[in-house]
Amino acid sequence: MPRLLPGLMLTIELSLLGFFIATVIGVPFGILRAYKIPFLVSIIIDFYVFVVRGTPILVQIYAAYFLLPVFGLKISPFWIGIVVLSFNSAGYQIEIARAAILSMDDGQYEGAFALGLGKFHTLFFVILPQAVLRMLPPMANEMSNLIKASSVLSVITVFELHKAANAIISDSFKFLEMLFAQAVLYVAFVVAMTQLSIYLEKRIGISLQVKNLSQR
Amino acid sequence: MTLDLAFMYQILPDMLAAFWLTIKISLITVIASVIIGIVLTAFRMMGGRISRYLIIAFVEFTRGAPPLVHISIIYFLFPEFGIVFNEFWTGVVALSLIGAGYSVEIFRGAIDSIGASQVDASRAIGLSRIQTFRLVLIPQALRLSLPPLTNELANVIKASSLLSVISVNELTKVANDLIFVHFVVIEVLIELTCLYLLIVGFLMFLSKYMEAKFKY
Repeated sequence: MPRLLPGLMLTIELSLLGFFIATVIGVPFGILRAYKIPFLVSIIIDFYVFVVRGTPILVQIYAAYFLLPVFGLKISPFWIGIVVLSFNSAGYQIEIARAAILSMDDGQYEGAFALGLGKFHTLFFVILPQAVLRMLPPMANEMSNLIKASSVLSVITVFELHKAANAIISDSFKFLEMLFAQAVLYVAFVVAMTQLSIYLEKRIGISLQVKNLSQR
Repeated sequence: MTLDLAFMYQILPDMLAAFWLTIKISLITVIASVIIGIVLTAFRMMGGRISRYLIIAFVEFTRGAPPLVHISIIYFLFPEFGIVFNEFWTGVVALSLIGAGYSVEIFRGAIDSIGASQVDASRAIGLSRIQTFRLVLIPQALRLSLPPLTNELANVIKASSLLSVISVNELTKVANDLIFVHFVVIEVLIELTCLYLLIVGFLMFLSKYMEAKFKY
C-alpha cells in the first residue's frame, strides 16, 4: 500500500498543475467568448472547444505523444500529460467561464454604466467577482474530472496512481488489493471534490446548474 | 506539410470497420445504461434502506473511480470469481455500468425536479408506487433528463476509446496500430478525430432533435 504513495503524489501533481494551467488558459478565453468579438475569433474558440470536448482523452494523448516531438517540445511523458490535461480541461473551463458570464444579470451592467464605469472597469470590479463565485462549483467538478482523467496517462508510462498499481499487480498478481486500493483512493478524492462543490454552492447561493456531471 | 491523401484513402476501410465496432459498443452501452439506470432509480426510490444504500454506493463508486479502473476490475477481477467475458463484452459491461451510475444520478435529479406534489396526487387517486413511477414519473423524467443524459452518453462513448487497452479492436486501438505499423501519424489522427467528432456531433444533433420533438 505505501508503494502506491508516489503514484498518488504524481496523480495529485498532474491534476493540480493541469487544472491551474487550464484555468489560466481557459477562463480568459471563456470570458472573451461571452462578449462581442470578431466572428473569426469566436469560430476558432468554438472549434477548439468542440474538438477538445468531442474527442476522447486517449486520442488527445496519442496526438500529443506522437506529434509534440515533431515540433521539438519536451518529450517527457509527464509534461506531455500536463499539456494534454491542460488543453483538455481548458476546453471545458472555457465553457464554464462563458456560462458564468452569460448568467450575469443585465441589471449589473445597467447599474455599472449608470454609475459611469467604463467597459473594462465594469468587467473587472463588478462582473468578474460575481462570475468567479459562480464558476467555483463546476470547477470543483472539473477538478474531480481531471483526477479521473489523469489515470488515462498510464498508457504513456506516466507512473501515476493507476500505473503504479498496475506495476504492483504485474509483480505480485494482487489484483483484488490493488484495484480496491486504487478505487478507494480515487473515489475518496472525487467524493471530497463533490462535497467541496456542494459546500461552495451552499455558501455562494447561486450555482450555474450546468448539471455537468461529465467524465472522460 | 503535405498530407498523404492516398494513404488516408488506403486506411479508410480499416478505420471504418473499427468505427462500426465502436458504434456497436456505443449503442449497446447507451441502451443498457438507460435501462439499468431506470431500474436502479426505481429501486432507489421504492426499495428499502438496504437497497437504497447499495445503489448510492454503486453510483458513488462508478462516478468516483476512473473508467480505466472499472475496466480493469471487470477484466481482471471478475474472472477470479468465475465471471468471464470476452474483451468486447467486458468493455460493454464496464461502460454500461459506468453509464448506469451517471444515469441514476441524472434521473434522480429529474424526478426530484418533478416535485412531490405529483407523487402525492397520483397516490391520492389510488395509483400504487410502481404505477406512479411508471405512468407519471418516468415519462416526465425522461424528457427532463434528455440534455444531461445525452451529454453523459457522449462521455461514455468517448470512454469507449479506453477499451483499446484491453485490445478491443475499436477505433482508437486500430488507429494506434496503424500508426505503429505504418509510421504515419497525422493522417491517421485526422481521420480518427473526424470520426469521433462525427459520433459526438451526431449525438448532439440527435439530442437537439429529440428535445424539440418532446417539448409540448
